[in-house]
Amino acid sequence: MLGLPSDATPEGAPGEPVVPGPATEKVAHAKRPPAPGRGPRELSVGGELIYFAVRNRKLVVGTSIVMVFLLFALFGPLLVRHPPNQFSSAAAAPPSVEHWFGTTQFGQDVFSQFVYGLRASFLIGVLGGGLAAVIGMIVGFSAGYWGGIVDETLSMLTNILLVIPTLALLLIIGAYLSARSLLFEAIFIGLTSWPWAARAIRAQTFSLRTREFVGMARLSGERDVKIIMREIAPNMSSYLFLMFILLFGGAVLIAASYDFLGLGPTDATSLGLMMNQAVLWNALQLHVWWWFIPPGLGIVAIVGGLYVMNVGLDEVFNPRLREL
Amino acid sequence: MRRYFGRKLLTYLLTFVLAVTIDWVIPRLMPGNPIKGLLAKFSLQPGGYDAIYNVYSRAFGFDLPWWKQYLNFWDALVHGNLGISIYSYPLPVRTIIAHSVLYSLALLLPAILLSWYAGNKVGALAARRKILDNTVLPIGYTLTATPYMWLALLLAFLLASEAHWLPISGGYSYSLQPSFTWQFIWSLLAHWFLPFLTLFLVGFGGWAIGMRNVIIYELEADYSHYLQALGAPQRLIRRYAFRNALLPQITGLALQLGVIVGGAVVTEIAFSYPGLGYLILQAIQNQDYFLLQGIFLFIIIGVLVANFLIDIAYVLVDPRTRVGMQGAQ
Amino acid sequence: MGMNARRSAVGILSAISAVAITATLLVTAPVSGQNIPTSFPRNETLYTSGTQYGTPSSWNPMQNGSYGTGTVGLIYETLFLYNPMNNKFVPWLAKSGTWTNKTTYTIKLRSGINWTDGQPLTAQDVVFTLELGKIPAVPYSNIWTFIKSVQAPDNQTVVVNFKTPEYQQWANWLYAWPILPQHIWSKYSSTDVVTTANANPVGTGAYTLLTANQQEEVLEKNPHWWANSIGYSVKPQYIVDIVNGSNNVVLGQVLSGQIDLSNNFLPGIAKLISGIGGYGLKTYYSKAPYMLSANTAWLVPNLSKAPLNDPNFRKAMAYAINPKAIASQVYGDIVTPANPTGLLPTWNQYIDKSVVAKYGFSYNPTKARQILTQAGYKLKNGFFTMPSGKAINLSLIVPYGWTDWMAAIDLISSQLKAAGINVTASYPQYPARLTALQNGTFDLAITNDAQISNTPWTYYQYMFNLPIRKVQNANLNFERFNSPAAWNLVSQLNATPTTNTAAMKSVISKLEQISLQQLPMIPLWYNGMWAQYTSSTWTGWPSASGSNHYLPMTWRGYWNMTGLLMLTKLRPAS
Repeated sequence: MLGLPSDATPEGAPGEPVVPGPATEKVAHAKRPPAPGRGPRELSVGGELIYFAVRNRKLVVGTSIVMVFLLFALFGPLLVRHPPNQFSSAAAAPPSVEHWFGTTQFGQDVFSQFVYGLRASFLIGVLGGGLAAVIGMIVGFSAGYWGGIVDETLSMLTNILLVIPTLALLLIIGAYLSARSLLFEAIFIGLTSWPWAARAIRAQTFSLRTREFVGMARLSGERDVKIIMREIAPNMSSYLFLMFILLFGGAVLIAASYDFLGLGPTDATSLGLMMNQAVLWNALQLHVWWWFIPPGLGIVAIVGGLYVMNVGLDEVFNPRLREL
Repeated sequence: MRRYFGRKLLTYLLTFVLAVTIDWVIPRLMPGNPIKGLLAKFSLQPGGYDAIYNVYSRAFGFDLPWWKQYLNFWDALVHGNLGISIYSYPLPVRTIIAHSVLYSLALLLPAILLSWYAGNKVGALAARRKILDNTVLPIGYTLTATPYMWLALLLAFLLASEAHWLPISGGYSYSLQPSFTWQFIWSLLAHWFLPFLTLFLVGFGGWAIGMRNVIIYELEADYSHYLQALGAPQRLIRRYAFRNALLPQITGLALQLGVIVGGAVVTEIAFSYPGLGYLILQAIQNQDYFLLQGIFLFIIIGVLVANFLIDIAYVLVDPRTRVGMQGAQ
Repeated sequence: MGMNARRSAVGILSAISAVAITATLLVTAPVSGQNIPTSFPRNETLYTSGTQYGTPSSWNPMQNGSYGTGTVGLIYETLFLYNPMNNKFVPWLAKSGTWTNKTTYTIKLRSGINWTDGQPLTAQDVVFTLELGKIPAVPYSNIWTFIKSVQAPDNQTVVVNFKTPEYQQWANWLYAWPILPQHIWSKYSSTDVVTTANANPVGTGAYTLLTANQQEEVLEKNPHWWANSIGYSVKPQYIVDIVNGSNNVVLGQVLSGQIDLSNNFLPGIAKLISGIGGYGLKTYYSKAPYMLSANTAWLVPNLSKAPLNDPNFRKAMAYAINPKAIASQVYGDIVTPANPTGLLPTWNQYIDKSVVAKYGFSYNPTKARQILTQAGYKLKNGFFTMPSGKAINLSLIVPYGWTDWMAAIDLISSQLKAAGINVTASYPQYPARLTALQNGTFDLAITNDAQISNTPWTYYQYMFNLPIRKVQNANLNFERFNSPAAWNLVSQLNATPTTNTAAMKSVISKLEQISLQQLPMIPLWYNGMWAQYTSSTWTGWPSASGSNHYLPMTWRGYWNMTGLLMLTKLRPAS
């Protein structure tokens, strides 16, 4: 036990991790942990879920936005006529038939950079968010299931990572690399953005592990890891999925910040780098708005779409929340 | 109560020591020699190089063994000494940071508190009220999904660059010197407004959405339905729901501090607002790792203190924890 | 939360704001009781930027890479000023300086010059300043390798005796290093001389330091400036030098007339100047390249590595790169391609056209391929390999964050690749890049350490300096070109009197021939003396077509290259 007030109260509400915005749904989930055996029942009501899913406006709108941009990211690069970083003499040209989103100071095609940047954002989101989710689950399950010294150590680690400016770590590691790749950025974000997720999972696991079905499994001599994988995780699968979506969005936003600071990839195009370049090369003062508006809009659309999708999904999973 | 805070304090202390140690390592881990970097800007003739190098090496204490440097670091820290800046040599890091800290606080405190307050209010109002919800929800999601620097660029572009309503950069007009005059204070406020607005808007969106979602859970909770069945007025039910929903929002604040500080960094940079974030960029660009180390130390302390205050606020707000702790005593 | 809560929230907020504002004032307001005006009248103030990238922290001339703007030139002054535009020395604190024989230089000081604390400037101050060079850590300590002694026979005369006069370097010292007041600096220890912040500088110059904070440094006109008596005067009562923000911020301030003179590299500036209305912006030239040239950007190969140790390979690279494309696509034509010798336009008289015609090079990728094929390099899958068949993979480095150079090497590497030379652009952090240069672990780099000066000797010292140390920490001869013959010629040039132009030209011609035949470094383009100004408050700016031909420059080392005289030409706009 960590001696946190949350452990003292059976309801497990206070002290639970919450992130503002979409992440907050988690808490509510935590308050009403899925009943034992909900997993199988979920299957039987799968049809019902789909019924509500296609009728949930938020889910449909959010998913559509994300899908449109995903398609752009996947197939856009096949459409572009100019490599994203190729110089040309058409410098800072406004949007035209030839250059749909105009060109940069060096005559690079903004549309081309944009679709490649979208690709980078999705990559960062999937890899960075995915890695963070995996670490968050490992840490959260371990701390919540075993408790005691494991919990104390992992909680300490989580707390430290919450306090230390990750920027400092990025600076040190980045300085040792002659080139920083997109993959490096994704892994770095994955390794540093899991703490809140770990805390949330820890709290969930904590309340689940005292449940009967977990006790039964333990009595029947199942291994701990198996219990976590078979009994605990499936009981919060929808929860874990929602968390991944949030980590995905978070990773995209964090990457944009790093890129903007000039700490992003050195050998790729990304939406954050486009903004960084636009500022460095005076797009604001030269009225080259087409250079910095699209990348920001792209990020808002992807992340906003994901968040809306998240709320929609939450309503689908949780009948009480469905709009009346 | 004492045991609870004792445990908490111990956690904070351990975190602090570890964080400071990592912080101390930063400039020493960076590849390249900071003094060589400094001297590269000088136009030197061959021959005198070693002499100058030694003078600076001594000035920064690099001639000592590393464990002594580490102990000296703690000793200096206890005395409030954060070392010397290498780029702005020989200015003490403390002096440079002292200016910037106030700008950052003046930006962060009102932005965090106001966005939290307003976000919670609006979010609570919007929950389960169709028309309001239909506006608050999309606006909130858009705002919270907006990268800080993009909103900053947008505001700077529209309100400063194109419309010329507000200044785009600096902490106050370059034509003024800090003084107790209305002219200066007005200038201070005008330069503060856009970075504040950026932080406020993004934060507002997040808190409003958060509160809206949590309060819906509360309104659908058994106790709410029970109260409703008993015929309690809607206002009363909502008030209970709001109070319960506040708790996760408080913990959320603690977890979000890092993200908000990160947002302040890029916002300050976008507006060249002379806070710690802007200083970080300067320090990165000038390879001033001693300054960077000082700034990070400050941020670490700030986040720890804020976490602690939030912990206390939590205990004060939540009656259950108070009961729980009394029981434990 | 009812009305009470709301009221208390508002109360807390206003209390916080009040405390924040007060605290900001307390911290930023000057501590000393000095009389600093709360605002500077716009029509009496010159706003500049482009020199300082962090809080101004030192006014010690010995820290010549970081001292506050104008420390040398506006606050402290030199014996002479040097005008690169006409290659003339302007007597400044010195009335005259003459070689009375081959090893004796006699300086006559002007009379009636006072330090700003009222003490007179005397020959003893000059002797003291020169003798400070005996402290090894003083950056100009090398002058004592060729100076024997310094005396002051009277208050206005200084006699410098030389062992083996290095005329070129001495001439450089005369305008590069300022005279310091003995009555103040003699109190500093030998370490302090190098490390002190010297926060209250007492000089002889046109301006004094008024105040400095993280946003700006403010200089105030010295009403008793000695040069008023010889017909020079400066009009701006205040000079506010702004600590540089990001490019877009500076450009915004220039466009709105908040900055009068910006010495920042502002991308896209050519577009604004040539655009309709021109935004009231001015540069030295009204057409491309708009700017004067400040230094040469060189491609530095590491000669200790194969195939870069092969002059033929280097020559092929020189033919494969198109500096014209760099100038137009990266810089928007505010820079010009360099002469094959690399010598700056101000040294035009020293460029031996016949040598350039015979040994020079120009963009010609076909020729590059020819040279490589003839030298035995083999083409395989579009790229040349060593004659042995070993693949060639070179990396070209510039510091991360130097955006124009980063864009430039992207283009250079693609040009080299097009000619079959496999070069990859890479951007290590500045310190890592410096270590690579100093330790010789790089392949190819771009550098521009040698700046405009009174003599091409500084350029050739940069190119040929010997001996080669394991760590080239004086930032000379990064390419590690080991040619005693060339270094002898450089020393010979150093020992040639600055007045003997014919002898200088003959030595330089030989050096040019070596540099073109061997190509230890490949000159690419001339970096501009970035300067853009607005006439809304001040007029009389330097321009090729006007009467002011002084350097529009606030960078360190440029005030004493007529940046100061440029100020004396400025007049209020209205």
